[in-house]
Amino acid sequence: MNTIIKTLILLLAAVSMSFAQGFKVKATGEQTFNFEDKRNQVKFFSTTPLEDITGISNDVKGKVSLNVSDIKSLKGSITISVASIKTAIDLRDEHLRSENWLDADNYPEITFVIKKVGDIKILEDNRIETKITGDFTAHGVTKETIADVTLTYLDASEQTKQYAPGDLLGVQAKFNIALSDFEVENMIVGQKVADEIEITATLRGSNAK
Amino acid sequence: MNSKQKYVIISALILLTAVLIWWLASGGEMLSKDGMWLEQEISELDKALGLEPQKVYQEKFILGLLPHTAVISGIIVVVAGILFFTFKSKKTKEKK
Repeated sequence: MNTIIKTLILLLAAVSMSFAQGFKVKATGEQTFNFEDKRNQVKFFSTTPLEDITGISNDVKGKVSLNVSDIKSLKGSITISVASIKTAIDLRDEHLRSENWLDADNYPEITFVIKKVGDIKILEDNRIETKITGDFTAHGVTKETIADVTLTYLDASEQTKQYAPGDLLGVQAKFNIALSDFEVENMIVGQKVADEIEITATLRGSNAK
Repeated sequence: MNSKQKYVIISALILLTAVLIWWLASGGEMLSKDGMWLEQEISELDKALGLEPQKVYQEKFILGLLPHTAVISGIIVVVAGILFFTFKSKKTKEKK
C-alpha cells in the first residue's frame, strides 16, 4: 500500500514538473536576485488634455527569488522611495511629497509584493512574458494589481559583468493604477493630473552574493 | 471703432492665438522646469535583458507658461492697447 502511495506521489510530482514553465538556461534550482543597480528605474506617467507629466525614481530596491525551471515559484518585492520621484519641476516634486498627494513623511515608500504568476508565455529559452499579480501599496493603501511583465535571464558572462557579477535578471513591467484607489484625491486629480497613472519598471537584478 | 482700431484688435487676437498654439506645441507646461528627461540610448546588455530605453534627468531651466507666454501676451495686449487709443485720438483730431 505504501509503495503504491509513494509511486503515486512520485508520478504526480513528475507530471507537475513536466508542466512547470521556466527558463532553459545553464543555471538551475532556486536563485535570488537583488535589485541594487543605480540604473534601475520606475516611471510614472500621467496624461491629460492639459498636460503630460512624467515622474521617475531611480531609488529602487528589491529582491526576488525563483526556481529557474518554474516561473510560478517567483516571489519577492520591489520598493521605491517617494522622496526620490522627480518630475522635472522642483515645486511639483514638493507638492507630490506633500500631505495632499503621496504624503512622503507618513508613507515614505511605494511597494509591489509579488503574489501570483499567471498567463505564462515562453518567448525564448531565457525570456518569459507573464502577468504578475501583486499587492501594490502607496499612500498607506494596498490594492491587488496585475502587471504585464517580461523576464529575461542571462547566465553570467563577460558581457553581464559590465553591470554586476553573477547571473542577471532583466525585468520590464507595466501596469496602471488609479490614484483615487489609493486615496489620493484633490482638485487637480482628473484635470492637470490624470486619475489613471501608468507605471513602468525597468530593472536589472543580480544573483551574486 | 475705426478700421485701424479693428486691425489692431484682430492682429492682437491672431498674435495671442499664435502664443497659445506655441505654448501647446511646447508641451503645455504651466510651470518652469528645473530639469528635463532625455531618452537614453539603449545598451547591448539592456537589449539582451529585454529592457526598454530609459530616461535620464538633466538639470536645465526651461521657462513654462506663466513667466514665458504671460509676459509675451502682456506685451501684445499693452502694445495693442496703446495703438488702439492712438488711432482713436487721431480720428478725434481729424474730426476736429
